[in-house]
Amino acid sequence: MDPHELRRLDFTLSEDHQAVREAFADFFRKESPTTLVRAAQPLGFDAELWRKTVDVGATAMALPEEHDGDGAGILELSLVAEELGRSLAPVPLIEHVVASRLLAATGDPAVADLIAEAAAGERILGIALRPLAGRQLVSTAAVAETVVGFDGEGVVVVTAPGARPHEVNQSSLPAAWVDPAAESVQRVSSPDAAALHARAQKEWKAVTAAALAGMTEGALALGIEFVRTRETMGVVIGKLQGVSFQLADVRIGIVGARNYARRAAWLLDNEPETEPHFAAGALAYAAKVATEGVQISAHVQGGLGFTVEADASLYFLRAKGWSLAGGPIADDARAVGESLLASRAGRLAGTRA
Amino acid sequence: MDFSRIELDAEHQRLLDDVRAFAAEHLTPEVFAHELETGDNFNEKVHLAMGERGWIMPHWPKERGGAGLDRLGVRILDVELGRARLPHVTLGTTRLVVRAVEKFASDAIRDDILAGVAKGTVRFCLGYTEPHGGSDIAGARTRAVKDGSEWVINGSKMFTTGAHNCQYTFLITRSDPTLPKHKGLSMFLVPLDSPGIEIRGIRAFSGERTNMVFYDDVRLDEKYLLGEPNGGWAVLRGPLDEEHSIGDGNPDGLDEVSIGWMFAREIDDALQSVIEWATTPRADGSRPADDPAVVERLGRVQIELEAALVTPGPSGRVKGGETTVWVGAELLDLLGIEGLVSQGRPGALGGGQAEFLHRYAQGTVTYGGTVEVFRTIIAQHELGLPRMEYPGSKLLVTSAS
Repeated sequence: MDPHELRRLDFTLSEDHQAVREAFADFFRKESPTTLVRAAQPLGFDAELWRKTVDVGATAMALPEEHDGDGAGILELSLVAEELGRSLAPVPLIEHVVASRLLAATGDPAVADLIAEAAAGERILGIALRPLAGRQLVSTAAVAETVVGFDGEGVVVVTAPGARPHEVNQSSLPAAWVDPAAESVQRVSSPDAAALHARAQKEWKAVTAAALAGMTEGALALGIEFVRTRETMGVVIGKLQGVSFQLADVRIGIVGARNYARRAAWLLDNEPETEPHFAAGALAYAAKVATEGVQISAHVQGGLGFTVEADASLYFLRAKGWSLAGGPIADDARAVGESLLASRAGRLAGTRA
Repeated sequence: MDFSRIELDAEHQRLLDDVRAFAAEHLTPEVFAHELETGDNFNEKVHLAMGERGWIMPHWPKERGGAGLDRLGVRILDVELGRARLPHVTLGTTRLVVRAVEKFASDAIRDDILAGVAKGTVRFCLGYTEPHGGSDIAGARTRAVKDGSEWVINGSKMFTTGAHNCQYTFLITRSDPTLPKHKGLSMFLVPLDSPGIEIRGIRAFSGERTNMVFYDDVRLDEKYLLGEPNGGWAVLRGPLDEEHSIGDGNPDGLDEVSIGWMFAREIDDALQSVIEWATTPRADGSRPADDPAVVERLGRVQIELEAALVTPGPSGRVKGGETTVWVGAELLDLLGIEGLVSQGRPGALGGGQAEFLHRYAQGTVTYGGTVEVFRTIIAQHELGLPRMEYPGSKLLVTSAS
């Protein structure tokens, strides 16, 4: 964004936003303790938690009203994702909701039942974030029977004959290979499939950026808790600048990544044509903040933070997986660069006029 | 939450046009040539012209010498003058001190001085840092001793930026070395033409000029004391918190959220110049931007800039400064040797904005408090980490030298 453009910069959450945030903070804190996160490994899915997540309305909230949703936007979804990230909740909510919204946006009546099943949580949807030209490792396809994608021509709904085998990975993503050639493919009719899929990618990036900010804050809390009591040579290590400054850096990253993500979400809800790669930038930044933040939060716990027993390990191992489910981050940075170069002519014309 | 474009009514549109016309008329190549030569970050002619329009204290009513602007009006003024690269440092230090003067100056001096501020004839600089002390402002050793109805000042201050263009320095002194560190301080508004004051210029490698100021038996009437004797810390707190941007923001979205935003604008100017380079064909017809690696690196710069602009509070100060440092170096790496040609030389790429940024950045992690000060604030006040007790945190430690 042009820093000289006259725009408001108001990050205040409304009372409704606060209520959403607090409700889901309570929900995930209570329902997704780290014991549950561990028990859900290596698949990264807890069916009981999924049922509860559906029951509190998380799968329907961001669907349009004509699909019996609450018509909430990406911003509200981001607030939910922040709390989901903080608790590392093993449910494929972000992908599911983004896929549901993509199907709803096609306007094809043939998928209305599928959307209704998804809203009710009876069928889990995944999303192929890259164009589905051939086999693709999709982040939630081991638990999502149906994967929504774009095959270069149109929106497709791909359903495997049975459960797809889980591809075990360091991040406990419920990832599996999706192969359109070996699965049942339903074509969905829609006016501008490429644009709808691009929109879904952006939604996923903005919401995932928020989830990563929340995840990093969850990791930071563990680091802080440890250094407040751990002593070395008679000094509480949280007093040492070598320790406290690193944790301050994590905090600096989180508050920026969160605001960046929220601004990206607001833009998608209110000015979808402005700065087309803002969400990609928010994701790239949040991914960097998360990668560094979970590392520092583990490292300040010394050797203990490196052990499987430490909850810090749960955060460390997931940060990369959640960041990369949409593809290489370098692609996001390059997209931002391309957008920057493209906007230059407008900027120069605007400022020198 | 609101990031919408602000639609201007007729009155604000008129103001916007006025400010742009002002910038075109007053922020001339001569002003920037003078800036390059002196590093003053101040131009008296421009400053007085702003005073004529009431723009030094724009939110003040016209009868006080302001322009009666509302918050949107002030924002328009800030954004447009920022875009036009108004030399702003002395304007900024003057505004920081105004509230302390309103609240703590004696009746004998207050009204005249504030009227002069609005007109532009009175400017303030900050007499905080001392040669021995860096960011530890409360460790001031410059002495103030009461002598009848006068105070006698002895000592020296570093980094009193703008002193040679100001009428008063907002000076922190040690009035009672026997009291605990923060309780033995007194603040003064010291007329800079007082006998015994010597101002010596110091250049930073950014080209900016700052000063060392020596105080040798400077005698001050007691009317120049701000607040109570030994009550200086209370006087200083307001401007200091404002400089550190601690306190309640107004939720109308017209404030910058990041106190690193001033640096971010410098990044943006440099980045624009590098984009121009990247999209200009070279001798062989290729453009740097044809290389995806260049595009990706520019994207990463833009991402860091966006992040710096939305990182709030003390975090934003660190992020803003450190992003400036990183981007300054990164852009030069992209440009190669041609990028090093000095600002002001005809051969400087893009006016030398990137070359300047790399030099300028070093100050942004230091002035107004080093980033370490802000990390300490974050660690203690935001993360709730325990405080390290240093020998000099409560007491004045003078034995070290």
